Amino acid sequence: MPHLNTKEDLEIMGKQLLLDREKINKTLIVCGGTGCTASRSRDVIDALNKALVIQEMDSEVHLRVTGCHGFCEQGPIAVIEPGNIFYCHITPEDASDIVTKTLKNGEIVERLLYTDPVSGEKVRTESEIPFYQAQDRQLLFQNREVNPQSIEDYIAIGGFSALAKAFGTLAPEEIIREIKVSGLRGRGGGGFPTWRKWTECREVPGDEKYVICNADEGDPGAYMDRCVLEGNPFLVLEGMMIGAYAIGASKGYVYVRNEYPLAVKHARNAVQQARRFGLLGENILGSSFSFDVDVARGGGAFVCGESTALMASLEGKVGEPRPKDVHTVVDGLWHKPTTLNNVETWANIPSIILNGANWFASKGTKGSKGTKILALTGRIKNTGLVEVAMGTTIRHIVFDIGGGATNGKAIKAVQTGGPSGGCLPVDKFDLPVDFDVLYEAGSMVGSGGMVVMDESSCMVDVAKYFLTFLQDESCGMCVPCRLGIDRMLEIVTDITEGRGKLEQLDLLEELADTVTQTSLCGLGKTAANPVLSTLRYFRKEYEAHITSSKCSAGVCKALIEYSIDPEKCTGCGICLRACIHGAISGEKKEVHIIDAGLCQRCGICKSECKFEAIQVS
Amino acid sequence: MKSLQLESILRGRSSQPHQLIEVLQDVQENYGYIPEEAMREISQTLGVPLIEVYRVVSFYKIFKLKPNGKYVITICNGTACHVRGANLLQDQAVSQLGINPGEVTDDGLFSIEYVNCLGACALGPIASENGNFGHHMTPAKLRKFIDSIRSKEREEVGNASPQH
Amino acid sequence: MLHYVTINIDGADIKAPKGSSVLEVAIEYGICIPHLCHVPGLSDIGACRLCIVENVTNGRAVITTSCTLKVQEGMAIRSNTDRIKRLRHNIAELLVAEAPNSRAIQDIAVRCGVKEVRYPFRNSNCVLCGRCVRACAELWHANALGFVGRGKERHVERPLNMREEFCKGCDYCIQLCPMTITPCDGPMKPGEEYLCGKCESQLMITEEVPDSCAWCRLGEGFNCGRYAGLKAVR
Repeated sequence: MPHLNTKEDLEIMGKQLLLDREKINKTLIVCGGTGCTASRSRDVIDALNKALVIQEMDSEVHLRVTGCHGFCEQGPIAVIEPGNIFYCHITPEDASDIVTKTLKNGEIVERLLYTDPVSGEKVRTESEIPFYQAQDRQLLFQNREVNPQSIEDYIAIGGFSALAKAFGTLAPEEIIREIKVSGLRGRGGGGFPTWRKWTECREVPGDEKYVICNADEGDPGAYMDRCVLEGNPFLVLEGMMIGAYAIGASKGYVYVRNEYPLAVKHARNAVQQARRFGLLGENILGSSFSFDVDVARGGGAFVCGESTALMASLEGKVGEPRPKDVHTVVDGLWHKPTTLNNVETWANIPSIILNGANWFASKGTKGSKGTKILALTGRIKNTGLVEVAMGTTIRHIVFDIGGGATNGKAIKAVQTGGPSGGCLPVDKFDLPVDFDVLYEAGSMVGSGGMVVMDESSCMVDVAKYFLTFLQDESCGMCVPCRLGIDRMLEIVTDITEGRGKLEQLDLLEELADTVTQTSLCGLGKTAANPVLSTLRYFRKEYEAHITSSKCSAGVCKALIEYSIDPEKCTGCGICLRACIHGAISGEKKEVHIIDAGLCQRCGICKSECKFEAIQVS
Repeated sequence: MKSLQLESILRGRSSQPHQLIEVLQDVQENYGYIPEEAMREISQTLGVPLIEVYRVVSFYKIFKLKPNGKYVITICNGTACHVRGANLLQDQAVSQLGINPGEVTDDGLFSIEYVNCLGACALGPIASENGNFGHHMTPAKLRKFIDSIRSKEREEVGNASPQH
Repeated sequence: MLHYVTINIDGADIKAPKGSSVLEVAIEYGICIPHLCHVPGLSDIGACRLCIVENVTNGRAVITTSCTLKVQEGMAIRSNTDRIKRLRHNIAELLVAEAPNSRAIQDIAVRCGVKEVRYPFRNSNCVLCGRCVRACAELWHANALGFVGRGKERHVERPLNMREEFCKGCDYCIQLCPMTITPCDGPMKPGEEYLCGKCESQLMITEEVPDSCAWCRLGEGFNCGRYAGLKAVR
C-alpha cells in the first residue's frame, strides 16, 4: 500500500492514476446509492457484471459503482461513456441488452432512455436532461466521477490537492481569510458564517481541539448529506482536514445518523483507506500537521443534530442540549474548543481553496454565496436532489426544475427547512433561496429540504404533522418545549377534529412566541415555525376548520365524509376487500355503499378504487 | 444469529464511560435488544451508574428493551412520505397485524416501527422489512407483502412438522 | 481569595463572586427572580426556564436562564421587563395547567401573575424539575433515581425498578420535591382542578415591589436560596 509521504508523492500518484483512467476504453457508471439500491440496483449491478463476463468485455469496460446522483425516482440509473448515454429504470433483465447493444455495438436501447415528463420527449444523453441542465451541480456532479469506496478514484480526479495547496502556500489565517471572502455560510440549517466559527475556535488557547462533521441529517424529507457522504466521503474528509489545519485541531469525528448504514460504511472505509495512504495520521504529506478521524453512529434521535446534543452523544450520554451562553467553539466536546460543521459545508471547502474564494463568491446573492443542494420532493413531476446557485427563485426550482404539479392539481405551498422551517404560499414563490430573505418570510433555507404541496394537503394537518414529529423528538428537559409543543399540538388537534375556537388561534400564537423565545435549544426555539408560518399565510384554512367545520383539502378525518358515487361504481368489490374497518358492503356488480358510522376515513379504499368512484366531501 | 458475546463486546472498553453508546449498539445488533443483565454488566465494566445506562437505552430509538418480531415492518414517516400518504400504510399495517408500533404479534412474527425519514424521499412512501425497501408503496402492496410472508411461514412450519 | 466582578441587575451595580451564576447573585442581594429547578448546592440545568432574564450585550437583549449564566465583568441584566414578565407568566401557566395539585406550583403561578389558566387542566404528579435526581446523584452519589425516556415519555424512575440496591434512605428526594407540598384544601379531584390563588395577599407584595424578596412562604417551603443563606448564618 503506497504511503504518501510528501506532496510530490501525491502529485505523482495523481498523475499516474489519471493516465490509467484515461486509458480505459469504456466506462459504465451505475448508481449504487441508497435510493437506487431501494430500486434493486444491486441486482442490476450483478447482472451487468455477469453480462460483461459472458460477452468477454469485462477487461475493456470499467464498471464504476458510484454514490447517489440525486435523481432517485428514475433509478436504477446508468451512464455510459463515451457517448454520455443515460439510461433509467433499469432492471436486471436489461443488463444483456445494455452490454451487447450499447457497449458492444454502440446502439441505443430506446426503452431505457429518460422521458422528460414536461415535454414528453426521450432524452439521449445525461447532459441533455432538463432536470440536470437547470442545475449548477458543483458537488453533485463529482459523485458520478468516483467510486466512493476507492481512494484512488478520488486522487485520480485531483483529490487532496486542495490539502496539498493549503500545506504549501497558505497559513492557517490565510485559509480562514479565503473562507471569509468566499462568504460560505453553514449548510446545516444555521447559516452561520463559517469563517467566524473557525476564527473564534482558532483564537481559543489550547492544544486539544476538535472538528466534527454533523451527518445526523434528521430533517425528514432531506437527504443531501446522505448523498454527499455516501457518494464522496473523501471530499468531506479533505474539507475537515483543511478546517482542522486552519483551527489547530488534531482529532475529528464524523457523526452519522444510524438510519444511514451505507453512509456509515463508506465513511468508515474512507477513514481506513486514508490512514493506509498516510493521509490521516502523523505528519501528513510531510507537514507538521497530524490529524485522525473516527466515525460514530447516532442512536436515533433528531435532537442529536443540535450541536451540544451531538457532542453529548459523542461523550456517551443522552442527547440533551446544553445552554450555549458559552459557545461550543470555546467549550465543546469534552469541554474543549470544537468546530462543528455540516457535511455540505465541509464538502465545499476543497473547491474554495482550489478555485479561490472569488470563484465561490461569484455565485449567489449578496448575503448567501455559492451553490446549495436542495432535496426537492413532494407533488411535482421531477423529484430528487437539486443543486442551484443561491438566489435562484423558488418558482424556478418548483416549476422549471421540478416540472410543476403532478396529477394536474394546483400547487399550494412549499415547505422549506424541515421541522424548523415554514410553509410559503405560491404568491411567495418569487422569493430567492437566500438565508436572510427566507428567514424574514417566516421560513428558512435550513438544511435544504423542500417539500412541494398541492391542494390535497391541509395546512392545519401539516402543522399537526410537524408538531407531532417535534413532540416525539424533543428531549423533554425544558418546560416550554416539552409542555409548550404538547399544548400547541392539543390546540391544533382540536381544530382538525372540529372542536376549535377562534380564541384558540390567538392563544396558539402567543404560546408559539413563548416557546420560541424561552426554549433552551434550537429544536424548541424553531418548533413553532410550522405553526406560525401556516397561521401567517393560511389563516383562512384554520378559520374554515373552526367556523365552518370544513377541511377543503379533504384530509381532516373528523370533518369529511366518504361516499361512493353510484354513477361510477362498477361493483368490482375491491374497496370492500380493502376496507380495514368493514365499513363497505355491496353485492358483486352492484353499487357498493359506505356505512358512515363504521367508516374511519382512513382513505385506503379511495387509493385502490380504479374508477375514481369514491368521493370525499 | 448473534456472533458476538457481551464479553467480547466489552473487551478493551473497561472503565471507558464514553463508549457506552457504541457498546449498546453492538449489543443491540447482536442480541436484537438490550437484556437487563447486559445493562448491569455494562454498568459495572464501563463504570457508568446503572440508571445512566438505562437512561441512554430509553432515550435513543434504536435500543429496544424487548426483542422485535422476526419481520420488522418499518414505515417511513418523513415529510415527503407523509405527503404521499404514509398514514395509509400505517393504518394498513396496524389493522392487518393487529398490533401497534413497538409491539410484537402473538406468534412472534411481526413488529411495526415508524421511522422519521430513511433518506429515500423521492421514492416514497417507503415501507421496508429488515433492510429490504419497498418504494411507492400502497396499502394493497403492503397487504400482499404481509400475506406472502405469512404463507411462507406457514409453509415452512408445515414442512418442518413431522408426519404422524 | 475570592475574585469579584461587577455586574448590573435592573440598574443596580452589584459585586459578584466570579464563578457564581446571575441567579445566585440576585438571590443573595434580595432580588427575587422566580425559579423552580434551582437548588443551592446542586448543579443548574436550566430546565424550568422560569428564571429567564435579558442579558444585554452589544445592544441586543438575549433571553437566557439566569441560573446557567455565569457572571462576567460589565454584564447588564434586566430581570423584570414587560417581555420577561409575560414570558414567565406563560411558562408558569403551562406548569400549573400540567400539575395543579401542588401548592408550590400554584404559588409559583400566582407569583408569576397567572390569573386564569387557558389550557385544560391535567393532573401530573411530576413536573420533571430534576431536583430529586440531582440531589441523589450529586449530594449522595447514590444514583438511585434518574430521568428515563424522551420528550413526553420523560419521567423519573429507579434503575430497573430496584430500590434497595442503590437508595441510601436519605429522603432528600422527598424533601426537595415541589409536589409533596400539597394544597391547603387537600388533593384536587381529577376533573375538578382549579387555580387556587388564595395566597395572593402575601405574594401581592412582590407585584407592588417587583424584584424584591418578600420572604414568602413559597420560598421557605421551597429551599429558596434566601433561606438557605439564612440557615447557613445560623
